[in-house]
Amino acid sequence: MLRNVPVRQKLVLIVMLASGSALLLASAGLIAFDFVRFRTEMAEDLASTGRMIAANSTAAASFRDEDAAYDTLESLRARPTIVEAAIYDDEGGLLAVYPRSAGASVPARPAAGVPPPEPALVVFEPIRHQGESLGTVYLRGDPAPLYERLRLQAVTVMLVLVVAALAALLVSSGLQRVISSPIQDLAELARAVSERRDYSLRATKHGADELGQLVDAFNGMLAQIQERDTALLEAKADLERRVGERTRELQAELAERRRAEALLERSNAELAQSNKELDDFAYVASHDLKEPLRGLHNYSLFLLEDYGEKLDADGRAKLETLVRLCRRMESLIDSLLHYSRVGRVDLAIGKVDLNDTLAGVLDSLGINLEAERVEVRIPRPLPTVRADRARVGEIFRNLISNAVKYNDKPEKWVEIGCENGAGRPPVFWVRDNGIGIPEKHHDAVFRIFKRLHARDKFGGGTGAGLTIVKKIVERHDGQVWVESTPGAGTTVYFTLEKGKPT
Amino acid sequence: MLLTPGVLAAQRRAAGEYEVKAAYLYNFAKFVEWPAAAFESERSPLVFCVVGQDPFGDSLQAVLGNEKIGQRELMVLKARSIDDPEVCHVLFASRSERARFDQVLAPVRDAGVLTVGDADGFLEAGGLVELTLDGERVRFEINGPAAERSPLKISSRLLRLARIVAPGPPGR
Repeated sequence: MLRNVPVRQKLVLIVMLASGSALLLASAGLIAFDFVRFRTEMAEDLASTGRMIAANSTAAASFRDEDAAYDTLESLRARPTIVEAAIYDDEGGLLAVYPRSAGASVPARPAAGVPPPEPALVVFEPIRHQGESLGTVYLRGDPAPLYERLRLQAVTVMLVLVVAALAALLVSSGLQRVISSPIQDLAELARAVSERRDYSLRATKHGADELGQLVDAFNGMLAQIQERDTALLEAKADLERRVGERTRELQAELAERRRAEALLERSNAELAQSNKELDDFAYVASHDLKEPLRGLHNYSLFLLEDYGEKLDADGRAKLETLVRLCRRMESLIDSLLHYSRVGRVDLAIGKVDLNDTLAGVLDSLGINLEAERVEVRIPRPLPTVRADRARVGEIFRNLISNAVKYNDKPEKWVEIGCENGAGRPPVFWVRDNGIGIPEKHHDAVFRIFKRLHARDKFGGGTGAGLTIVKKIVERHDGQVWVESTPGAGTTVYFTLEKGKPT
Repeated sequence: MLLTPGVLAAQRRAAGEYEVKAAYLYNFAKFVEWPAAAFESERSPLVFCVVGQDPFGDSLQAVLGNEKIGQRELMVLKARSIDDPEVCHVLFASRSERARFDQVLAPVRDAGVLTVGDADGFLEAGGLVELTLDGERVRFEINGPAAERSPLKISSRLLRLARIVAPGPPGR
């Protein structure tokens, strides 16, 4: 009920309740004390009056003199607090009643020794003379003054209470500020802090009591919060700065990458263009070169046939060399033409059963292989792939030819295989036990017209075979590479689709 | 006090006149103080004398017989005439002595004897207390000047009940 009342009012209420209840208790105690004392006084007064009446009515009681007894009682007229009285003789007979009208209400017989019911003020006083009991005096006092006094005191106490409450209200209203105003200040400050998030505010200290300690503790907390808030803000700013920096860096990197990509794209396009131009040029050049070369060759043959007898041996030898060089020139141009065609003509991609393709290739090479007594090994059947059938056949023909050609062993063999890697393109290989290729030449072997040996060694050739293989593989988006141990053999690996091989 | 209350209570019932008067004699003795010289010792009895024809019969003896006032026992002496009236403390003069009240009272006048009578002229003859009848009720009168002269101390309480009179010279 009081929980939501402001501290200020609580303090006032507490002070008033405390002082009020203290005052009330004290007053009640005083009134009770006074009540008892006053009643005792009245009882004593009544008793002494009783003794006086008794002393004055000895003779009247002795002589049973009713008139004298009444006269004695008449003296009570001066005592309005005594409402009725009576005198009994020594036998308990009623001698006199005062006032006369009270005859019916006085006890018919004295009841000395029996305590009257509270709070009636009743006295039975024996009438004695020289140790002899002569009768009894009965007196009944009026308790009204007692209650009148009680009522007056209660009214007085009420008035005092009201006045005291007003005084307490005034005093405590003034003094409560000593406690409540620091608390109020603190509460308002706390509200201000939480509303404005201004941690630089500080509470004012009013003294070194518990409230002062509270204010100190509160200020300490505020200081800590302020410190942390500042640190937090700094950390936040720092973080933002770093994020900004990183963003700018990333943007710069991104721009750089885009520039590089654009550059790459452009140079790729340029490269493709120049490749195409080169291919076109190679075709046109070689095609156009062939005709005059054919003439040169033919006319050289004509010279040998028609005028050979007119020339000496040296002359004929030179003409024969001319013819041979023409033929060589022609084969070089053919190779070049072929190479450029591989680069220019679109692939005819379809399903290719490599086992069929390989069988065809081996068929066409059959005579050669028999002559050289080469063992062909195919450990496992080959898969079916999507590729250009003719070109793939060309790859195998070239590689098998090379394997047979560059082999000085008496028992030659060629092994064709395939390795399937999970999630990776299958890798095909052609392995031989031939002369091998030193590692420094592993790249050079793919260059056009590059020959590692003398022109007349290992059956000659234009040196375009591996170059054409590489071109076909690359047009299938595959890769080709060489592993070799000189003197022990060579393995050429290739793939026919995009992806990093095992 | 065994019979006295009965007697006094009987007064309201119109009890025997002398039974009441006997009780009165006893009551008078309670409210009167005698000088110390009136007794031989503190334990000496209080003597009631009845002079003349005794009207009480046994009633006086019945009232006083077992009573004491203070430490004193009560005694009754009866005689037609008392030779040595100074022995008496309370002297009741019967109506039979009416003619010679002066003679009866002369030896005890102002001598510390409570003289009681119930005949007219007793106070005029110098008696202290005279019992009268008011209808059926017994009352008493006290001779004020005689009481003042007497060495007896009569309690004011007793005086308050009495009618105080100042009688003329004796003999009408």
